[in-house]
Amino acid sequence: MSTVMKIENLEAKIGDKKILKGLNLELEAGKVHAIMGPNGAGKSTLSKTIVGHYDVEVLGGDITYKGKSIVDMDAEERALEGIFLSFQHPVEIPGVNNAYFLRTALNAKRKYEGKEELNAAEFLRLMKNHLEMLGMKSDMISRSLNEGFSGGEKKRNEILQMLILEPEVIILDEIDSGLDIDALRAVSEGINKMKDGKRTFLVITHYSRILDYIEPDYIHVLKDGKVIKTAGPELVAQLEEHGYDAIEEE
Amino acid sequence: MNLITLKNKSREEVATTLEVESRELLLEKFISLGLPHKMTEEYHYFDVEKLLDAEYKTLNYVPKTIVEGDKIEIVDGVVTTAPKGMRVYYEPCEMIDMNHFDALYYLGHLLSPRTIKIEIDGDTAVEILHKYTQSDTLISYRIVLYNQANRHTAVYENFEADDIKNTLVLYGYDMHVAQDSTLRFIKLQTMQNSGYSMIASHKVNVSKNANAVLKNFDFGGDKALNIFKIELGEYAHVDAGHLLYLNNDSKRGTASQIIHRGEYSTSKQEAKNILDGQARGIFDALIRVEHSAKFSKAEQSAKSILLHKKAYMASKPQLEIYIDELEASHGATTGQLDEKQLFYLQSRGISYVEARKILVIAFANTLIEQVKDSRHQDRIKAAFEEVFYTENKG
Ligand SMILES: Nc1ncnc2c1ncn2[C@@H]1O[C@H](COP(=O)(O)OP(=O)(O)OP(=O)(O)O)[C@@H](O)[C@H]1O
Ligand SMILES: [Mg+2]
Repeated sequence: MSTVMKIENLEAKIGDKKILKGLNLELEAGKVHAIMGPNGAGKSTLSKTIVGHYDVEVLGGDITYKGKSIVDMDAEERALEGIFLSFQHPVEIPGVNNAYFLRTALNAKRKYEGKEELNAAEFLRLMKNHLEMLGMKSDMISRSLNEGFSGGEKKRNEILQMLILEPEVIILDEIDSGLDIDALRAVSEGINKMKDGKRTFLVITHYSRILDYIEPDYIHVLKDGKVIKTAGPELVAQLEEHGYDAIEEE
Repeated sequence: MNLITLKNKSREEVATTLEVESRELLLEKFISLGLPHKMTEEYHYFDVEKLLDAEYKTLNYVPKTIVEGDKIEIVDGVVTTAPKGMRVYYEPCEMIDMNHFDALYYLGHLLSPRTIKIEIDGDTAVEILHKYTQSDTLISYRIVLYNQANRHTAVYENFEADDIKNTLVLYGYDMHVAQDSTLRFIKLQTMQNSGYSMIASHKVNVSKNANAVLKNFDFGGDKALNIFKIELGEYAHVDAGHLLYLNNDSKRGTASQIIHRGEYSTSKQEAKNILDGQARGIFDALIRVEHSAKFSKAEQSAKSILLHKKAYMASKPQLEIYIDELEASHGATTGQLDEKQLFYLQSRGISYVEARKILVIAFANTLIEQVKDSRHQDRIKAAFEEVFYTENKG
């Protein structure tokens, strides 16, 4: 197996509160990893730590991505290197046109990779298919970024960004929360489209429903700032039945 | 002339210095208000004394033959071109506000016995371009602007200067927005290190059922204060917007009074201020609703973003209300860029510098997009981006 990201003894705090308490996790390249765990366990904090969020202060341990430590990297560099987080709560940015934002992000990436930047027309052509697949109306990209978007629309817009940026490690923090059945199907389809055996997914969820669509290879249980169990997909049924309290730390 | 010599002088002395014996009432108003200084409310955050205390050359303002052109061009206070059919001429100003709060409004009138009168006919748009070519000079002129009842007019005001220095411009409008008409007045200042400071002092009368839309886009350097008093008649409406972007050590802003006189009058005043470097911004704005203005509505907001720890915004929105029930809203915020928004952009691979630009432009755009004419909207957006990008290289 080849490891794309390795998290070792990670300790991190937000404000005065220590949230990650010696967390270990290894992500196998090309696989779908699901993280489940009770509210407040530190799932979102883990994802924020991986992308370099300013809230989080790393106290100890390390995160290596493709063999290099990333804990001292800027958020933008981590993104350019191929790490993507779909936020649990995407922010609204009034006055920033969504299409302009998407194109700026894509062109930043293309420039980083030494590719030609796309002009507005080329970009719109690229967008068309994605929008159709995600069931997004085209006015969604002419509006301000996430402003006044419904919960489901925000999540679709996160997936749209993932499709455009084609990242290598994709963290989805509760991408399924608040989605209706059609939206869940559209979002899952978007995710499955990105599954090519090379990209790696870290799917944080409370529900098995999305896992039926995107078929995880591994289930990790995160509790009180640590990964306490890693198993195959069969663990989901067990968790649904007995809850997190029944899980013993390995 | 050094204006500071007018300080604490008797009426006779002031009259002699200004050579204005015949204009008794104006002189009295000017003297009773006194030459502005540091403690004068509307000049409080503006180094007015430094501007007044300098030796300036004065000009004669001899009217020239007005040549036909695509815009009204005023060079050093004298009209040189005007569009065909537009009535632009000189005459004594017959409607001076005898209750203005600003002493320099009166000084401007005293120094400009003849004013430039512009009458705008019909549904038209006109550009007024002010040009300054003289260094070390006091350029002082006044404009009277009329539109017609039932008409929709737009004025786009722009500024240019030669390579000058140490000039002080004192100018201003007496505007009369006719009954049932709309006047859109869009002022754009974009010059960095323009070499002149400006104190503009205006009076705007908004007649019954008329609508005045006054938008001020100030991305200038140096010093400028835009002073205005607006009076609203019955069912009159004013929509005043102020976008300020300052950098380096410029000091600019607005001191205003909007006065509701007529019933059912409405006002909306929105200021957005972006300050970088050691700049100082001023927004000292009063909305007063008088006893006579029953059933009025007033809305006022000021939002400021400080991009540098040495930048300072003096923001003072105020409502003064003399009726029992008023629909009003009012608020002021000052802060940095939203770090959640910054992070969101950075997490998509956009650099900090670029993300900051995107957010600042977004903040400004919500005001610029209120300029309905898309050509002018684009022009103002471009002007803002040019100034902002020049100041934020990298
Ligand atoms: N900005 C913050 N300030 C203070 N405490 C925080 C902050 N962010 C998170 N926490 C705390 O850290 C703990 C872990 O939060 P986190 O959001 O990582 O949990 P989670 O596992 O994602 O939970 P959920 O399933 O509810 O999304 C919680 O107790 C939370 O209150
Ligand atoms: Mg969470």
